Amino acid sequence: MSDELTQARDFDFHGPALDNIFDTYKDLRTKCPVGRSDKHGGFWYVTKSEDIFAAEQDPDTFSVAPSMLLPSFGTDVPLIPIDIDPPDHTDYRRLLLPLFTPKAIGRLDEGMHDTARELATKVAGQDVADVSAIFARPMPTIVFSRLAGFPEEDWPKFDQWVDDIIYERTVDPQRASRASQAVMDYFDDLLDQRADDASTDDIIGHLQTVEMKGRKLTRDELLSYCYLLFLAGLDTTAWAIRSSLWYLAQNPAAQTRLREDPDLIPQAAEEFLRTLSPVQAMARTCKADVELSGQQIKEGERVVLVFGAGNRDPEIYDDPDEIILDRDNNRHLAFGGGIHRCLGSNLGRAELVIALEEFLAAVDEFSLADPSEQWHGVGPLTLRIGK
Amino acid sequence: MFKLSVDQTRCQGHARCVIFAPEVFDFDDEGYAFVPDDQTMRQEMTPDVKQAIANCPERAILAEDVPQS
Repeated sequence: MSDELTQARDFDFHGPALDNIFDTYKDLRTKCPVGRSDKHGGFWYVTKSEDIFAAEQDPDTFSVAPSMLLPSFGTDVPLIPIDIDPPDHTDYRRLLLPLFTPKAIGRLDEGMHDTARELATKVAGQDVADVSAIFARPMPTIVFSRLAGFPEEDWPKFDQWVDDIIYERTVDPQRASRASQAVMDYFDDLLDQRADDASTDDIIGHLQTVEMKGRKLTRDELLSYCYLLFLAGLDTTAWAIRSSLWYLAQNPAAQTRLREDPDLIPQAAEEFLRTLSPVQAMARTCKADVELSGQQIKEGERVVLVFGAGNRDPEIYDDPDEIILDRDNNRHLAFGGGIHRCLGSNLGRAELVIALEEFLAAVDEFSLADPSEQWHGVGPLTLRIGK
Repeated sequence: MFKLSVDQTRCQGHARCVIFAPEVFDFDDEGYAFVPDDQTMRQEMTPDVKQAIANCPERAILAEDVPQS
């Protein structure tokens, strides 16, 4: 019992803790599916799919204040719309919805293919390549920046900011908060430059001109949207592409199967999202005393919904730890659920599918050149290209 | 005979249903799913609709039996 408690108390879902996290999930699930960790100020982790689903469907009890991120992304203000509870959440989210519908994303299809093809062609010409740096990261940077209206000359700055804010925040919070300030200043300048710009061709233009309940958005609201979109639009998709390639690099038979039957790629992408989810967990705060899997949780306590564990819950999936490219009934939690469901899921999915299609079409059989590189994050993924 | 619908209070616009059964589901301008009137009443459960129901992350697709009179 003491070992179990120690393991639960040390449970974390950032950095090196991710290296073996799927084994950790398995242990926690069998011994203590809802448990208490001392990390990040203390929280209850929730590992079962049904419990996570129930919490997501009950935003009145499971609040996203003060932040869905644990630890937070280094800002003092809540991020719109993820850190906002109803009723305000509904209005904030609705402003963005029309931009991310399947039809709206469908219009980007050709541009996304062109971008992925160009990047994949560069990979194909090399013997050994860091495909994270030259493919998985640039693809969402280019696609999302064009959609959002982030000027091309600024793109080279983005990766470092993402690294510092998302990945360094648990190691070096000061570095994260400096980067966070730099990003806020960057968007403040960008909004200044575009103050008289009436174009609505991109997300920034849309947010600058749209009205919410009969008024324009304030500068603080615009900054909050921009900051969140910047972090949400670039990093998660890069992780999804990188982790899918990490898996394929070790499974030449899977590469061959998808090359021979590209129609299977969307289904395979779902399976990569389920098993190697870019967002392993998100936090809530209880607004009332609740019980999950028999565990009492008090009002005011922090709860972490571990999507990555729910996605491998044996009560939901047969052979949950197996990656089955044509898995049916793949109802997973990679994009969360309920009112805070990832707004960009249609875009993220499309980018992942198109990235894999173009990569597999352009690049010969590939394998890991450095097996010490981990499945998670957006760090280097060094591949040997060609048998 | 059954009646197919999307619970509008649960749908969050994941758009999985339209992938599996594009003939049966449609989307409004905000990306929420619905079943057009001419698709609502269905004789039998087809594999595409079954997959849409099984893959809806919000469990928002309802299939209610309608007694034949």
